[in-house]
Amino acid sequence: MTKVLLIEDDSETAEEITAELVDRGFEVEWSANGIEGLDKARSSQPDAMIVDRLLPGMDGLTVIEALRKEQVRTPVLVLSALGAVDDRVRGLRMGGDDYLTKPFALVELVARIEALLRRPVESRETTLRVGPLELDLIERTAKRGDRVIDLLPREFRLLEYMMQRSDQLLTRAMLLEEVWNYKFVPATNLVDVHMGRLRHKVDGPGESPMIHNVRGAGFILRTGP
Amino acid sequence: MSVGPASFSEPDRENQMEASKALPLTLSGKSAGRNPMDRAHILRSNTFRWALAVAGVFAVFVIVLFGFIYWQADQYLIARSDKMIGSQLNFIAGLPSERRLDAINDHLKPDTRGVQYAGLFSADGRKIAGNLERFPPDLQMNDSVRSISVDRTLPAGRETHVIRAIARHMPNGDALIIGREVDETKEISHVVAQALALGLLPAFCLCLLAGAWLSMRAQKRVEEVNQRVQRIIAGDLRERLPHRDVDDPFSRLTVIVNGLLDEMEAMIQALAGVGNDIAHDLRTPLTRARLALERGRTNATTLEQLQSVADKAVANIDQSLTIVTALLRLAAIENSRRSAAFGDVALHEMLHEVCDIYEPIAENKNINLRVDVGHRLNVRGDRDLLLEAVANLVDNAIKFTPEGGKVNIELLRGDSETIVRVSDTGPGISEQEREAVLRRFYRSDKIRSTPGVGLGLNLVAAIVKLHGFRLVIHSGQGGRLEIICPDKQD
Repeated sequence: MTKVLLIEDDSETAEEITAELVDRGFEVEWSANGIEGLDKARSSQPDAMIVDRLLPGMDGLTVIEALRKEQVRTPVLVLSALGAVDDRVRGLRMGGDDYLTKPFALVELVARIEALLRRPVESRETTLRVGPLELDLIERTAKRGDRVIDLLPREFRLLEYMMQRSDQLLTRAMLLEEVWNYKFVPATNLVDVHMGRLRHKVDGPGESPMIHNVRGAGFILRTGP
Repeated sequence: MSVGPASFSEPDRENQMEASKALPLTLSGKSAGRNPMDRAHILRSNTFRWALAVAGVFAVFVIVLFGFIYWQADQYLIARSDKMIGSQLNFIAGLPSERRLDAINDHLKPDTRGVQYAGLFSADGRKIAGNLERFPPDLQMNDSVRSISVDRTLPAGRETHVIRAIARHMPNGDALIIGREVDETKEISHVVAQALALGLLPAFCLCLLAGAWLSMRAQKRVEEVNQRVQRIIAGDLRERLPHRDVDDPFSRLTVIVNGLLDEMEAMIQALAGVGNDIAHDLRTPLTRARLALERGRTNATTLEQLQSVADKAVANIDQSLTIVTALLRLAAIENSRRSAAFGDVALHEMLHEVCDIYEPIAENKNINLRVDVGHRLNVRGDRDLLLEAVANLVDNAIKFTPEGGKVNIELLRGDSETIVRVSDTGPGISEQEREAVLRRFYRSDKIRSTPGVGLGLNLVAAIVKLHGFRLVIHSGQGGRLEIICPDKQD
């Protein structure tokens, strides 16, 4: 069972997060302050950590820094009410792997934790394959079965990102940050429009759909229904 | 001694504090001036102290000057008198001995003031003629003219006088003395003292009066200012400092401070307005969420109904959170200084990227989105923020251009500036809206509810301002917005 350590001082928030993660099949350990959290991170060796930035006792970033100095590579998701770009950059520089601004949707949190746990391994593969879908990273070509898919550069990047994370829920915010490198949320729902076009190309008529829209959450690329 | 001034200024400050506390009670500066404490205040004020110091220095200078004049005049008169004594002695000594007695008597007779002295003594010291009873003991024979003290018999009695005198041996062995009392010196000192009294005293008094008056005037103005400031602190933002139409430093200062107060009043009022707008914008979705939850709690009978209620509430809460996030971001950009992390931003590439992102959206709406980049132009700035600004402009343009319309992104080169222009075939921005948008606090309710100009444009304006660029909004049919990036002079 995957173990997640949650360091968050607000008990109500912690309770909700814990309940959601337990529902999703995680084992959750909770500490309400930085010092205790650091001890638990050392002793119980979790698979992933969720760390609030502002904590009593010891600042969240200090906890992460201390762990990184001890060569602990556990993926960390930083939670913070500080949403400015600079704060985010700082959070990531201090050793956090991902950064989520409060308030957030629970779906978003779970999606990001799962993404952290299943980070794509660096591979020398030049071809990505998911079911009948094939992406040649050198030739920059895509095929579904024998059908060649003609993709624009941006669509290619989007599909590449999704194929590296097949069967994972990818939220709009994650796609904006990773694929478009956007540091802000645009007024128009860009992701849906781009995804709509990509889906139109990937899922041809008569073929079983591979790009699935998860209502109110994001998108999944998978072979099954 | 550094203790002195400090111990002086301490009670001074206390007094000022007390005075300022008491100020709201005193209604006019005049009544405050009659207060004995205020009079003490004037005497201790800096202006008055300076006046006093200047008056003191002036007085010392004048006294030294008068002393010098007195000394010089005295010297001159004594020298003249000495010369006269010498010539009289020579004259009498040159006479034959039988005529000397008459000459001495002639010499003394017209002297009504009693300043002339003469005496003829025989070799054994006996008085032969003159008004000296005996030979003065401290007078040397055949010396130059010198000061000696002599006794003189007057009807009122004997008096000791200091005179200038000279003595000489006559060929027959007699001793002749000629002297003169130099009473001019007394007269001169009298005149000098009178001149001092007539000139210096009034001048000194005038100095002090002027000092006191200036100090009082300054005090009065400071107190007036203090009263007004107290009123401003108490919340009367319309209050301004008293200002006279004269070109003195104090007036200029009040003009400057009044300008500052104008600015602050405008800002505070604008802030209050912004606060109201924010409250309004946040309340609307929160009210909807609350109503949905309240009704759902009593009316929902199935899980589906409850879920739809929860969805509605979440959507509304998300909307209010979006507003809060946007406002915080706007504040963060407005408050940040020009970043040291600015780098060269290739605008041509950036515009292509924006076009790339928005192309599918434009196509969905059947809008022709074109990018026209003739030059490769770089500006210094924050790439992410500039991308956000241009993306916002394009986003707006696409949103408010009707189907079948056109949106153009252009990169132009002006005389000494680079221009990013986003134009569309939409309804455009009216003159009034344009004014409002470019105002300092433009987050007015009117603007936000006006189609075409949302919070996004405010964000663009903030980003543009942060870079030292200009946002130009052309009014009239068809939207046309430009970000003008002037070339750096360095």
